[in-house]
Amino acid sequence: MAGIFIFSEDSALAKQLLTPALDLKQSLSQSVTAVTTTEADAKELAALGADKVVVLQSTSGWAEGLSEAIYNLVSTAGAAIFLVGGTLRGKHVAAYVAANLNAGMSTDARSLKIEGDKLLSTRLLYAGLALCDEELPLPAVATIPPRTFLPPNAAAKAGTIETVKAEADGRVAISDVTTHAGTGVDIAGVTKLVAVGRGFGKQEDLKLALDLAAALNAEVACSRPVAEDEHWLPIERYVGISGHTVKPELYLAVGISGQVQHMVGARESKVIAAINNDEHAPIFEAADYGIVGDLYEVLPLLTAAITKK
Amino acid sequence: MPKCLVCYKWTLDEKDIKIKPEDLSLDTSRAKGKISDFDRNAIEEATLIVEQQRGSVHALTYGTSAVQQSLKDVLSRGPDTVYWIADGSAETADACVTANVLASAIRKLGSYDLILCGEGSSDLFNQQTAARLAALLGLPCVTYVEKLSVEGDTVKATRKLADCTEVATVKGPVVLSVLGTINKPRIPSLKQVLGAAKKPKKEIKIADLGLSPEQLQPKSIHKSVKGFVAKRKNTVYKEANAAANVGKLTSSLAAEGLL
Repeated sequence: MAGIFIFSEDSALAKQLLTPALDLKQSLSQSVTAVTTTEADAKELAALGADKVVVLQSTSGWAEGLSEAIYNLVSTAGAAIFLVGGTLRGKHVAAYVAANLNAGMSTDARSLKIEGDKLLSTRLLYAGLALCDEELPLPAVATIPPRTFLPPNAAAKAGTIETVKAEADGRVAISDVTTHAGTGVDIAGVTKLVAVGRGFGKQEDLKLALDLAAALNAEVACSRPVAEDEHWLPIERYVGISGHTVKPELYLAVGISGQVQHMVGARESKVIAAINNDEHAPIFEAADYGIVGDLYEVLPLLTAAITKK
Repeated sequence: MPKCLVCYKWTLDEKDIKIKPEDLSLDTSRAKGKISDFDRNAIEEATLIVEQQRGSVHALTYGTSAVQQSLKDVLSRGPDTVYWIADGSAETADACVTANVLASAIRKLGSYDLILCGEGSSDLFNQQTAARLAALLGLPCVTYVEKLSVEGDTVKATRKLADCTEVATVKGPVVLSVLGTINKPRIPSLKQVLGAAKKPKKEIKIADLGLSPEQLQPKSIHKSVKGFVAKRKNTVYKEANAAANVGKLTSSLAAEGLL
């Protein structure tokens, strides 16, 4: 059993995967093979240190439909480790390959290392309530969330590139692909966030948070119900276990109770502040600073105070 | 008239799990069980389809002996029959074991047009079961579905991914995983709760599934599980005078260099 394989249909994530893959290469003394679907990605991955890049050439652009073809590559090579970019498409591919390999799979691994003849991965359980060290025998599969690693520096010697014809899963037809018309704000990349939750009674009241965000030069984020149940803000602004993970300098949570499903997306923030009328809300345990009070009273005062500074 | 099978997991309600401060281990003694959140969406979706088009919904679960607590609950949500597998192996089962058990049970139960799962379970959130089942059963798979329609043997599923939506069209039998946004699971009415008592609950013995000991042996082993404890300052201003609290907060934020 030899070889570290990586795959992501997302170009940026594929490059990030090379970092843990090259790390595992050190531990295992095994080569790194990147699987991709485009020539452009292949050149970049080879330049960044993949020993070999296999370009899957198929008539379908649907990554999930290449699961079987990717499994064939990984299994024919007898790969020890298969790392997959943890997008939803990637998780689909990874789980399919893991099942066919009869292998264990660690979903959303935060870190990976080899211990003895096992792969040790750290991941979250119970919606982020707990951290778990998970041990998997080889061959093992793991998915890695976007932005967990930075891409590596260019390698001294570029790897080789090989093109292979691949048959896509013809049973599923894909149509009506609609790219989300986002507002172009990436809340994962901003330095200050004002996050709003169920404490707001109606959509118009969010103006209080928008005013505060303007005074702070912050962007507005929200908890899941505000985006998915109330549709007051677009999904792209939602922080939490199945939304964004953010790491701003300041995360100011307003009217958010602080359930773990939400906090898991915000807890890597440098400073967390909270405004909530319930003194016993879990948000205060997760915050550096807090005000117990009615947000309708506190926010205008806070906005005015910050504007004055 | 589609024949649907919904796989669900009986999990601990994570809201009731506490972290023990002395060693960061998890205290689950007060945690009650629940049907995993997104599995409720899968149950609801299958039930909605069958309410509109007739057909049938069966439910299938694998867990420890605690799964028996879930049977009335699941039946009150729509399925006509529940098949349950209770075995100690579930205590440490990973997605690999779970898929082996469910796939063997599905082969035994016969053919279904739609096999539905939730996107991922509330506890482990491995997000693997649907794709693994499809691989083991040799069926097509459509994951992360937020809208589903069935016409004859054609299934149209709108998937929602991070940056786009897309429509997958496939002929059943097919394995699907659904998102929490696909519907709002019903709160069973008293009539549905009472009706559930009369619906069949059928046990499947794990010994009858023809699985090897190796297939019940998890690949993924949890070496350590520790509660995540945030180290925060926890300075809370709670005077009656809101302006005083605001003054203190702005001073604190200014001291952190944030204003």
